[in-house]
Amino acid sequence: MRTADAWRLSAIPYSEMAFRSILQNSSNMWWGSFGRGSAEVSGREDLVKRALRIARFDKFIITAFVVVATSAPFLPQTLGASYGISASVTLSLAVSFALIILYGVQTLSSFVTSGPSPVLSTLPLTRNEVSLVNLLSFVRTSDYLVVGSVVCQVFFVSIVTGSALSALFMLLAGAMNSVMGVGVALWLSSIFYRNILGSKQGRRAGVLRLAMLLAWGVVVLGIGVLFAAAGYLIPLVQSVLASPDALTGSILSLFYPFSLGISVGAVAHGFASSLIEWTALGATVGYLLVAVAVSRWSMSSVASFPEGASRITGSERTKDTSVSLHKPVTAYALKDLRAASANLPSAFLFALPAFETLVILLIRAFLPTLRASTLLVAMVLGGMFSLVLPLVLVSSEGTGFDFAKTMPLRMRTIVFSKALIATAVFLPAIAVVLTESLLKPFTSSFSILILLASILAVAAASLLEVRLFLGFAPSGRVTFALQEFGRMAAGAGVVLLPATIYAVAYIPTLNHALAAGAMVAVASAELLAISEFVRRS
Amino acid sequence: MVDALIEAHGLTKSYGTFGALNGLELKVMPGEIYGLLGPNGAGKTTTLRITAGLTEPTKGSVAVSGFDATKDPLHAKALTGYVAEIPILYESLTPRALLDFEASVRGLANDSVNRRARQLAEAFEVTSFFDTPIATLSMGTKQKIAIIAALLHQPPALLLDEPLNSLDARSSRILKELLSLHVQRGGAVLFSTHVMEIAQRLCSRIGIIFGGKIVAEGDLDQLRARAGEKDATLEEVFMKLTNEASEVESIVRMLRESFFDDEDR
Repeated sequence: MRTADAWRLSAIPYSEMAFRSILQNSSNMWWGSFGRGSAEVSGREDLVKRALRIARFDKFIITAFVVVATSAPFLPQTLGASYGISASVTLSLAVSFALIILYGVQTLSSFVTSGPSPVLSTLPLTRNEVSLVNLLSFVRTSDYLVVGSVVCQVFFVSIVTGSALSALFMLLAGAMNSVMGVGVALWLSSIFYRNILGSKQGRRAGVLRLAMLLAWGVVVLGIGVLFAAAGYLIPLVQSVLASPDALTGSILSLFYPFSLGISVGAVAHGFASSLIEWTALGATVGYLLVAVAVSRWSMSSVASFPEGASRITGSERTKDTSVSLHKPVTAYALKDLRAASANLPSAFLFALPAFETLVILLIRAFLPTLRASTLLVAMVLGGMFSLVLPLVLVSSEGTGFDFAKTMPLRMRTIVFSKALIATAVFLPAIAVVLTESLLKPFTSSFSILILLASILAVAAASLLEVRLFLGFAPSGRVTFALQEFGRMAAGAGVVLLPATIYAVAYIPTLNHALAAGAMVAVASAELLAISEFVRRS
Repeated sequence: MVDALIEAHGLTKSYGTFGALNGLELKVMPGEIYGLLGPNGAGKTTTLRITAGLTEPTKGSVAVSGFDATKDPLHAKALTGYVAEIPILYESLTPRALLDFEASVRGLANDSVNRRARQLAEAFEVTSFFDTPIATLSMGTKQKIAIIAALLHQPPALLLDEPLNSLDARSSRILKELLSLHVQRGGAVLFSTHVMEIAQRLCSRIGIIFGGKIVAEGDLDQLRARAGEKDATLEEVFMKLTNEASEVESIVRMLRESFFDDEDR
C-alpha cells in the first residue's frame, strides 16, 4: 500500500476515533444542549448526532484557538515592546504544549481503549499496512494543531527578530514541543484509560487516579492563569532571563520550555553570550534527544494497536456484592462525582477548590487588612469559577442519563444534587478566608456577612444554571453555544446582583452594616425564589 | 375483573414525518408474559421506551397499574424495570456504584436490596465484576448488569427489549426462569423480540406489531386461526399476518437466480 493511499484511508478511522472519543467524554460537548429536546427523541440519538457534528468541526475550532493562543505572547513585541523574545517564545511553547496535550487526551481516549479502528483488522491488509494506517490516523489527531502553532511561532519569531537562523531554530523548537506534547497526551491517555480506568477500582488505583486528576486540574487551570496573567508574566520572566548573573535564570534555563525560549533568544541576537544562554543551549540538545525518544516510543506504541486494545478486567476478583444506601440527593451527587472522576476532561472539577482559594488569596495577599471591597471582588471571582461546574456536571451525564430517566426521580432531586456539588466546591475558599481573618482583621466586622451572602448567591446561581441546562430544548444548531453561554450568564447575574446591591447601598451611606445586610437579604431572596422555581418544576 | 398491569390506548409517536407508532392498543395482564413480535422498525422499542417513561408519545396514553406514564411518571417508573436492547448504564461507574445509586434513588431497604443483589449477581455470575468499570465489561456482562438493575426493586411490570440478545445459554435460561417466577407471583412482562422461537416458547400471549400497530394478538393457536394457517409455525403465521410472505419469496428467488448466474459465469 502506498503512503498516499494509507493517508487517504486513515481519514476514516480518524473520524471514527474522534467521534467515539467525543461520545465517550460527553462532558466536552459544551456546545451541545442537554435539554428536553434529548428526552423527546432518544438521549443516545441526540448525543450521537451532537458528537458527529462536533467531531466534524472540533479540530478546526481548536486549531483556531491554538493559533490565537500561541500568537498572543508575541503581541508585546509586535506592538513595539523593547524587551527580548525569550519569555514570549517560552510562554508560546508552554501554551501550545498544554493545549496539544489537552486536545490529545480528549481524542486519544478511544484510541487507547479500543484501538483506532477494530474494523481495519478484519480487512485483507497486512499487519504493517494496518500499522501504517493507525500511525497516520494518530498523526491526524493533531496535524492541524501542530502545523498551526508551529507556523505562528516561526512567523512571529522571524518578524520580531528578522533572523532566518532564529526562525529555523524556532521551527526545530516548535517541532520538538509538538512531538513531546503528543507523546505526553498518548502516555497520559494510556495510563488513565487503560491502566487506571480499565482495571479493578482498588485503593491504590483510587489514589493514583485522584493524584492524576489533581495534576490534570492544575494543568487545565494553569493554562487559564497563563492567559489571564500573560501581560504581567512576560515582562517579569523576561527581566529574570535577561539578567546574566541571576541564579533564578540559570536554574530556569535548565527547565523545559525555558531552555528552548532562551536558546531562540540567544540565536536571535547572534549567539550565546552568557552562562544562562550556554546552559539553555546545552539543555536544548538534551531535550532534542528526549523528543527523538518520545517520538520513537509514540510510533511504536501506536503501531502496537492494530489488534485493538484488549478489554481489561480486574485480575483481583471480588466476592462482595454489598450495596450502600444514601438519600436520593446524596446518591445522585455521589454518582456525579464518581462519573466525573472517571473522565479526565471533567477532572478539573477536583482541582477547582484549590484554584479558587489560590485566586482569592492572591487578590489580597499584599494587603494588611481584609478590606470589604477586595473581599467582594474575590468572592465574586470565586463564585464565577463555580459556575462552570453545572455545565460540566450536566454534560457529563452522557448516554447514561437514560438510565436515570427510568427511575422515579424528580427533576428537583437532580438539580439540587448538582447544585450541592457546585456550592460545596466554593466552600473551601470561604474556609480559607475565614482562617485568614484570624491573622488579618476585617476592616468591618460586618464584612463576614459578605461571605455568607456569597455562599447563598453561588447556591442560587448553581440551582438556576442546572435547572436551565436540564430544562429547555435547544432551538437550533447554530444557537447551541450562544444558548449555553446565555444560561451561564444568567448564573453570573445571580452572583453579581448581591455584590452590586452592596455597592449601591454602601456608596451613598458609607455604612458597611447596611450594605452587607442588604447583600445578604438579596442573596437570600434569590436562593428562596430560585429554590421555589426548582421545587415547582 | 382483574385490571391490566400495562395498558396503552391510541399510542402514537411521530419522528418528523415518520410515524413510529400509529394508534397502538395494548393490554398486559398480571401473570402474563406478553411478547411484542415484529420486524425491525415496527415500533417495538418505541412502545417500550414510552412505557418506561423515556420517550413522550405524540398522542395517546400508557398506564402502569393505572398510573399514566406521561402524566404521573414517578409512580409508573417506581413500578417498572426496564432493560434496553443496547444496555443503557453509566459506563464510567462500577456495577456496585450503579446499584448503590439505583437502590438509593428508589429508596430500597438495605437488607432486602443486599440480599437480592447478591442472589442476582451469583445467578448471573457477575460478582467478580462488581468493582470493574462497566465501560470495560463485555456486552453480555453489561446486559446482565442492566437486568440485575431492572430486577433489583422487584417491580410488578418488567419491560424488556430483546433481553436475550447478548446472553449466553446459561444466563438466558436463568432469565427465562426468573421471568416465569415473576409472572407466577402476579407480575407482568412486556417483552420485545424478533426471534420467533423465543416468542413461541416464552410468551403466554403474543402481539404482532407492524407499521406501528398491533395487527394481531393472542396465543399461538389464536394467531394461527387469525392467519387461517392450521399447524403453521409462528414464523409462517407472522409472515402471513404481516403480508411479508410473498415479498420474502420473491427476494429469495431473485437471490437464488443471482447466485447461480454468478457461478455460471
